[in-house]
Amino acid sequence: MIQESQHLRSDQVSAYIDGELSSNEAQDLRQHLATCHSCALRIVSAMQLKAATTRVSERVVVPPEALSRLTAQLRPEAPKRPARVYPIRSWAWGALAASLIVVVSLIGWRETRQSNSLSAELLDQHLAVLSSGSSPEVVSSDRHTVKPWFQGKLPFSFNLPNALPAGTTLDGGDLTFVHGRPAALLLFTIGKHRASVFLTQRSANESAPVSLETQSGFTIHYAYTHDLRMIAVSDVNPADLDLLMTALVEAQSPR
Amino acid sequence: MPASNGSARFEQLVLPLLPSLYSHAFWLSRSHEEAEDVVQETISKALRAFDSFQSGTNFKAWIFRILRNTFLTSRTAIAASRTVFLEDQVDLLDVSDPSPTPEDHLLRLDNHAALTEALESLHPQLREVLLLCEVEELKYKEIAMVLDIPIGTVMSRISRARRTLHEQLRQQVGGSL
Repeated sequence: MIQESQHLRSDQVSAYIDGELSSNEAQDLRQHLATCHSCALRIVSAMQLKAATTRVSERVVVPPEALSRLTAQLRPEAPKRPARVYPIRSWAWGALAASLIVVVSLIGWRETRQSNSLSAELLDQHLAVLSSGSSPEVVSSDRHTVKPWFQGKLPFSFNLPNALPAGTTLDGGDLTFVHGRPAALLLFTIGKHRASVFLTQRSANESAPVSLETQSGFTIHYAYTHDLRMIAVSDVNPADLDLLMTALVEAQSPR
Repeated sequence: MPASNGSARFEQLVLPLLPSLYSHAFWLSRSHEEAEDVVQETISKALRAFDSFQSGTNFKAWIFRILRNTFLTSRTAIAASRTVFLEDQVDLLDVSDPSPTPEDHLLRLDNHAALTEALESLHPQLREVLLLCEVEELKYKEIAMVLDIPIGTVMSRISRARRTLHEQLRQQVGGSL
């Protein structure tokens, strides 16, 4: 029981506004407030102060990067710290092996598919050249005419061989796009066959997947230098096409 | 209980508390870098000790206690421990104000900067108890568990923190009148 002559203690005021008094204690306190103006004022003042300090000391916001690191730490499947070792059960090994197989075959499928679609695209372009009958942009058998024509039109440069294999002539060149990348198209005649050679920049992480491929009776020959990727498409016999490609590759190495 | 169930449940309990754990660690250490380290260590300790947590008891208080103990062993806390804190008992000597006047209650609470300054100048132990009570909305019983002190001490620290703030803000009003 709080005496009327007494005022509330500070800790009683705090406990009251924090809802920490038992119902009996709170009842007593309210009875006192009904008769003590000063203590009623203290309660109001304490409540205002609590509301104000709560507002001011709002939570510090976690920076998003820190939150994602902490969340990652909580998830054992993506442990942040390699020091922590999680025991792997036998079924988990099985699942892991299965998912590895899926990933590996997906990568293989994707590479085959990419290479197939590239071959198909180049074959289409080669056939378009054969069937259109229109002349290429630059018509010349002179490498000193063809090579300068490409300068400034492509983000890379290349050399043409001093001498082409016997029976092979340069017909001209054109600009084209291969898989969205700018490319030089060189047109050759080998004997009675036509050959298209596509030159593009080689991307940094590009592998050299296949060197020879046959599609619909055409040979698709891949060759790589440090900076360039060259792909020839022709129905000539593969050995003759290889001679041309070897000459082209050799022309790129500095003398 | 299978380990995977335990860690899933642990994750479920901790995830919603990450913002408050971080915020409290920041208030204690005053550094984002250290706050993250403290929370990381807290999570790791709490996970290891999760078996000892009894369901039905307050998880927030339990993990805040680990957070606080983790902070106490940190560089900042060791450096700060040289600051002497007056005994809580001293507080019991003067808990009532025999003759409060209406002017005593006149505070300027709309001044954000003044309030922040007053909070900043509070002794870290008083600020900590006030944050646990007002921002984290822990009950006195839970705060006692976090700080490992008797509930009476929690009560007197909170009351003392508020009186200190009140006094400081009242002086500011006095100064501006």
